[in-house]
Amino acid sequence: MEFLWLGLQQLSDPWVFLTMCSGAILGVIVGAIPGAGAAVTISILLPTTFSMEPLIGMTLLLGIYCGSAYGSAIPAVMINTPGSPVAVLTALEAKPFVDRGEARRALSLAYSASFVGGMMAVLALMLLTLPLAKVARNFGSADFAMLAFAALVLVIVGHGGRRVEATAAMAFGLFLATVGIETAYSTQRYSFGFSFLAGGIPLVPMVIGLFAMSEALIQLTAREVQKPAIQLGGRFFQGFTEVFRYKVTLFGSSIFGILCGIMPGVGEFLAQQVNYVWARKLSKDGANFGKGAPEGIIVSEATNNSVPPAALIPLLALGIPGEELTAMMLAVFLVHNVIPGPDLFVQRPEFVAGLYWTLLAMNFVIIGFLLVATNAIARAAQINKRFLGVAILTLSLIGTYASGYNFADVGIAMVFALLGYVLRAHRWPLTPILLGLVMGPILEGRMRQALGTANGDLTIFVTRPISAIILAALVLLVVFTFRGWLKQRKPREDWQINDT
Amino acid sequence: MSAEPEARANRLESLALSIIFAALSTGLLALIAVATKSGPASAGWWTRPWLMPAVALTILAAANLVTLWREVTDLRARPPSPDEATEGWTALLGWLRPLEYLGYFAAYLWGILHLGYFAATLVFVFFLMWRAGLHAPRWQLAGLGLVLFMIGVFRFGLGVWMPAPALYDLFPDALRSALIRWF
Repeated sequence: MEFLWLGLQQLSDPWVFLTMCSGAILGVIVGAIPGAGAAVTISILLPTTFSMEPLIGMTLLLGIYCGSAYGSAIPAVMINTPGSPVAVLTALEAKPFVDRGEARRALSLAYSASFVGGMMAVLALMLLTLPLAKVARNFGSADFAMLAFAALVLVIVGHGGRRVEATAAMAFGLFLATVGIETAYSTQRYSFGFSFLAGGIPLVPMVIGLFAMSEALIQLTAREVQKPAIQLGGRFFQGFTEVFRYKVTLFGSSIFGILCGIMPGVGEFLAQQVNYVWARKLSKDGANFGKGAPEGIIVSEATNNSVPPAALIPLLALGIPGEELTAMMLAVFLVHNVIPGPDLFVQRPEFVAGLYWTLLAMNFVIIGFLLVATNAIARAAQINKRFLGVAILTLSLIGTYASGYNFADVGIAMVFALLGYVLRAHRWPLTPILLGLVMGPILEGRMRQALGTANGDLTIFVTRPISAIILAALVLLVVFTFRGWLKQRKPREDWQINDT
Repeated sequence: MSAEPEARANRLESLALSIIFAALSTGLLALIAVATKSGPASAGWWTRPWLMPAVALTILAAANLVTLWREVTDLRARPPSPDEATEGWTALLGWLRPLEYLGYFAAYLWGILHLGYFAATLVFVFFLMWRAGLHAPRWQLAGLGLVLFMIGVFRFGLGVWMPAPALYDLFPDALRSALIRWF
C-alpha cells in the first residue's frame, strides 16, 4: 500500500504529470503520421531525456511509446493508411466499415479495444514485475547470460521469413558492442586507433542514424503519392459499448499481447499477426475476418496496445529489453545510474511506483485526447512526406549532437543512416542490430562471470536449473521452428514484411 | 509503416549488397588478430578479448555467405533478363540519392561551425525544401515555423549548447554572448 502511495505522490508532481500528458499526446500524433512513429521520435528525443529526472525522462518516452500504439489506428481507419506496421490489420478490417459509412464505429472499436488492452497490460505490469524480480534474485550469472542469449534467439525466431537476415543483423549488433575498450584487460578492440571509437559505438547516434535519419532519407527520396481523402461516417460512441459484446476476444487478445510483450524479441507486430490467425480460427465469426469484422479490429488493437507496458516487465525485473524501444529506454536508466533488475525495487521503489501510476493515468489521458482531437490528428497524418523528411533530418542533427556534445557522433549517425537506408530498401530488419548492441555487453559480461566461477566449464549452463530450463525451452523452440520452416517453405516473394 | 524506396528490390542490386556485406564481414574477421589483443596467457580462455568479436563476426560472415549463396543460386536458376539487368544498374545508381542528402547534411554541420546553429538551420531547411520540390510560399512559412520551433525547444527550452561560430566574432561582445547563448 505504501508502495502505491509512493507512486501517487510521484504522479502528483506537476512536472511528471505535464510530461506524461505531453508525451502521450505527442505519441498519439506521431503514431498517426506514417513515417514518423515511436521509433523515430524516441530516438530523436532520447538524448534530451538524459538531462531530465529519470522518472520524467522515462514518462516522456513511455508516453510516446504507448500513445503511438493508439494513434496508428487513426490513419488506418480514416485514410486507409496504417500509421505503423502494427496498424496494417486494423486498416484491413476497417476498410469495409468505412465503405459502409461506419468509420466512427471502427474508430471507437479500435480506441476501446486499445484502452482495455493497455489497462490490462499496466495491471499485469503492476502485479507480475515484483514477483518476477523476486524470482530473479535467485538468478546467477549463468542464468542471466542464458536469458540474454534467449532474448537474442527469440529476436531471430520472431523474424519469420527473414531469419538469416535477422541473424546477420543481430551478429552485427553484437560485433558493434565489442568495438572500443574491452573491460577485462582494458585493451582496444576494432577501434583501429580512432579516438572517437575508443569508447565504443555510441548508442544514441547509432539509434538516430538507423531509425530516424534513414527514415528521413526514405521520405526525401520516395515518390510523392496522392493524399487519400479523410473518411468519417457513422456513430462515434457505438463501438465503446459494442466492444464488450466480444469479451473472449477482447480479454483473450489482451492477455496474449501481455504474454508476447513479456517474451523478449516478439514485439507488437508478431504478437498481433499470430493472435489474428488464432482468433480467426477460434471465432464463430471467423469467416468474416478481413471483411470488416468488429472482432478483427479488437484483436489487432487490443494485442497491439497490451505489448508496450508488458515489455517493461522483463526490463524492470531482469534488466533485459525485449525490443527496440525498450532497448532505447535502457539507455535512460543507465545514464542516470538506475540499474534495472531485481535490486531496482529495493533501491528506487519511488521510481518504479511512479512509472506504474503514470502508465495507468496515461491511458486515460490518451483516450480523452482521442475523443476530442481525432479529426485534427487525421489531418496531421496527411502531412507531406518530404516536409516530414526535412523535419526529421534537421531534428536528427541536434538530437545526435545533444547526446554527447561531439560532432564525431553526427558522423557516426550519418554512417548508420546510410546503412539503415540500404537495409530498409532491402527489407532487412533493423531491430536485431540494436538489440545485439544493447545485449552484447550483458551477454559477454555475464558469460565471463559464469565461466569464471566454473573455471571455464561450459556445463555450468546445463547444471544450473534455471539456465538449463531456459536452454531446454530454447532448443524446443528452435526445433519446432525449424520443423515449421521445413513444412512451409515459401518462395521469397511471399515473405512477410516485418518492417524494422 | 515506413515508405519503401522500392516496391521490391532488384535481384542484381540484392546480389551487390550481399557481396558487399559478405566481403566486409569476412574482412573484419580476417583482421581479428590485429584488431584485438590476446591478453595474458595465464587467464582463462573465456576472458580473451578476441572471443566475443570472433563469435559475432563468424555468425555475421556465415549469415552473409548464406544470403550470398541464396542470391547466386536464385540468379543461376532464373538468369536476369536484359531489362532486369538495366533496372539493377539504375537501382544501384539509386544508392547515390541518399548520399546526396547526406552531403547536404554534412554541409549543414559545417555551416553550424561557421555560421551558427540558427543561420545554418535556416539555410539547410529552406534549401532542403527547395530541393525536395516544396516551393510554394506556405512551405517557406512551414520551414520558418520548423526552425523557430527547434530554436525554441532545443536552445531556449532545453538549453542545448552549440559551439560559437567564427561569424559571431564579428558582433559586439554583448550581442555575441546573446547569439552564442540563444542562437
